[in-house]
Amino acid sequence: MDEERLIMRARDFWASIALILLSLFFIWRTLDIPLSGGTQGGVKGVEWFNSAAIVPLGIFCAMLLLSVSLLVRSIREGGAARALDAAGLGWNGPEAMRFATLMAIFVFYVVALVPRVDFVISSGLLITALIFGYHTGDRGRMLLATAAVVVAGLAALLLHFPQAEWNAHGDDWIALAIWAGLVAWMLIVARGERVARITPLIAIAAPLVLICAMAFTFRQNVPNRGGLIFKQIEYHFYVTLRPLWRD
Amino acid sequence: MEFVLSQLAGFGHAFGALVADPLTYVYLLGSVFLGIAFGALPGLTATLAVTILTGFFGNKIPLDYSLIALLGAYVGAIYGGSYPSILLNIPGTAASAATALDGHPLAKSGRGGEALGLTTTASFIGTLIGTFALLIFVWALLLISKNIASPEKALLALFGILLSGALMSEDLVVKGWIAGLIGLAMAMVGMDPLLSEPRFTFGWSYMLSGFQVVPVLMGAFAIPQIIAGMRRTQAGTLTQLNDRILPSFAAIRRYLPTITRSGVIGTGVGALPGVGEDVAGWVSYGVGKTVSKEGEKFGKGSVEGLLSSETANNACIGGALIPLLVLGIPGSPPAAALMGAFMINNVIPGPTLDPSIILRVVAILVLASFTMFLMGLFTARVFIRILRIPQTVFLPVVLILTTIGSFSVGGGINDLYLMLGVGVVAYFMNMLAFPIAPLVIGVILGGMFDEMFRRSLLLSDGDLSVFASRPGAAILLALNVALIASQLPPVKRAFGRMRQRIA
Repeated sequence: MDEERLIMRARDFWASIALILLSLFFIWRTLDIPLSGGTQGGVKGVEWFNSAAIVPLGIFCAMLLLSVSLLVRSIREGGAARALDAAGLGWNGPEAMRFATLMAIFVFYVVALVPRVDFVISSGLLITALIFGYHTGDRGRMLLATAAVVVAGLAALLLHFPQAEWNAHGDDWIALAIWAGLVAWMLIVARGERVARITPLIAIAAPLVLICAMAFTFRQNVPNRGGLIFKQIEYHFYVTLRPLWRD
Repeated sequence: MEFVLSQLAGFGHAFGALVADPLTYVYLLGSVFLGIAFGALPGLTATLAVTILTGFFGNKIPLDYSLIALLGAYVGAIYGGSYPSILLNIPGTAASAATALDGHPLAKSGRGGEALGLTTTASFIGTLIGTFALLIFVWALLLISKNIASPEKALLALFGILLSGALMSEDLVVKGWIAGLIGLAMAMVGMDPLLSEPRFTFGWSYMLSGFQVVPVLMGAFAIPQIIAGMRRTQAGTLTQLNDRILPSFAAIRRYLPTITRSGVIGTGVGALPGVGEDVAGWVSYGVGKTVSKEGEKFGKGSVEGLLSSETANNACIGGALIPLLVLGIPGSPPAAALMGAFMINNVIPGPTLDPSIILRVVAILVLASFTMFLMGLFTARVFIRILRIPQTVFLPVVLILTTIGSFSVGGGINDLYLMLGVGVVAYFMNMLAFPIAPLVIGVILGGMFDEMFRRSLLLSDGDLSVFASRPGAAILLALNVALIASQLPPVKRAFGRMRQRIA
């Protein structure tokens, strides 16, 4: 059996254990819904065949059976023997760091920045961080890019955590300063790289065009309408520009 | 014959209305261009193109125009995958994986222009074959589907998930089925469809309405691609084009039998629930290798090999729309994204679907394939330039697109959490070789399966024989049982022994 397949079986070992635990947990949760004789959604005397539990129970039992069969197969094919060995699992340090830093960037962007910071600023910072951090694969750049997004995200969370404060601008200024700093650093350390020169243009143009298209062409809800830049754009669109063609 | 003529007349009317509307061209040109660009960029897929556009156009513009945008992107992206396959030896989409085997050797031998031109023509004819099949078979199946009741619908949904799990899995079939079950389990979250009993909401009111389709699609298809693509990659060497792209009529005539055969295979594979363009491409390539006179040249720069896969993957589009429009069961992952667009517009594909929508879909597909054909022949060099854009530059923009797309459909930050959560799960599933397509098909069909399964039992007062009492249900039950049994070790061993004996 080739090495790649053995690595896959070692991973299957842990995946099947996680799936078995997950199936058992959800079977236990499903048993909270009465299978027969109880009241469901205000309907009395529900039988087993129309109970809200019957289909989920079937799904999780099937998942449990299939997960057990996957576990048995992984053990038979040598997955369990390699499962406690990092090399056996195909563990790769640099790859794990790349994944961890990307996850930190995504989580802080979605959870902290998008709801609290102006969309153009938060997305501009994200685009700059991702291109600068990952284009060359340099470890130092990756860490710096992650730190920039994490610090901006932490500032937003610490300064304006409650939803009532999401329109406040303190965190917008901090994120803008971090973005400007990151762009300046990128232009210094990567001055010979063509990608570094076009990154600020992409980082400004892409979110700006997208949010304007969404808000004014499709008239959709957009994140953080009260953000530092978008608030100004929206004001001038309705007060300065729109009267030009409406009048 | 009269039936075919009446269908063609209905199609002519829909086509005329579409052609007379100037806005059609705006959406068509934009979406086909975007689709080809998405397909051409390795790391972006046809499903992602349709998903992202669903987030943008899904419920923001009239359904007629959003269908133009989505179908245009679908047709363009499946075709666009051939560019990097031929010129870089990197398949732009999974559907074009077989294309690289012959396309790149052809380009290296100085026939890249010819390969691109014939691919464009074959993709165009393939799309038309699939569309013609859609026009004819959808009506015949719609008549049959009027007799389909709850047991058949439940068994069909299950068959779609099982078949998708079995055929889309690169490693073990059991992984495909587990992925389908995870999708089904995700569809169980929220109020149940019969009694409105809350399930697995964990006290979170957002979960009461269940998982929204668009954030799930965005998470499942975009986030893993972004995570996987954000790395330093060695730019592939772009093979230079020295010959002309426009194919000669004699060449097209010579390869017409291959194109026709592959178109029929692609349409047939597409019509299977949950099986995508990549399977269609490989099946057609395999058949071509067996039946073609130049079968031994396949993989070394055979034009027939190239056209076998490229025609089939585009023909698959029309085929994939047949189960979607007739039964509400997507025939491929991009069709699942298309179903998401129908759902957020409160249009339920299936026997009750307005027939004018089907005629419009057919007319859009014909126009989109024409647009793709013209763009492919006359602006190919623009798309070749797009191939030079590194993944690390365009993927961050894709992340912004998915973020704002997911947010705007539901209008809440919770949809972004859902997108990210599903994305991380999908990334690990990819890493562990669990296919994503059955998960998405499970999420989309889960609600229908739950409702139809329980309704059948309710009407029969809990009698399980309801799933075998009608001929259609009995056939579907037999298919489901056969599919499951075919993967059981004793059955596999018995088949193996039988094969050995025959050999």
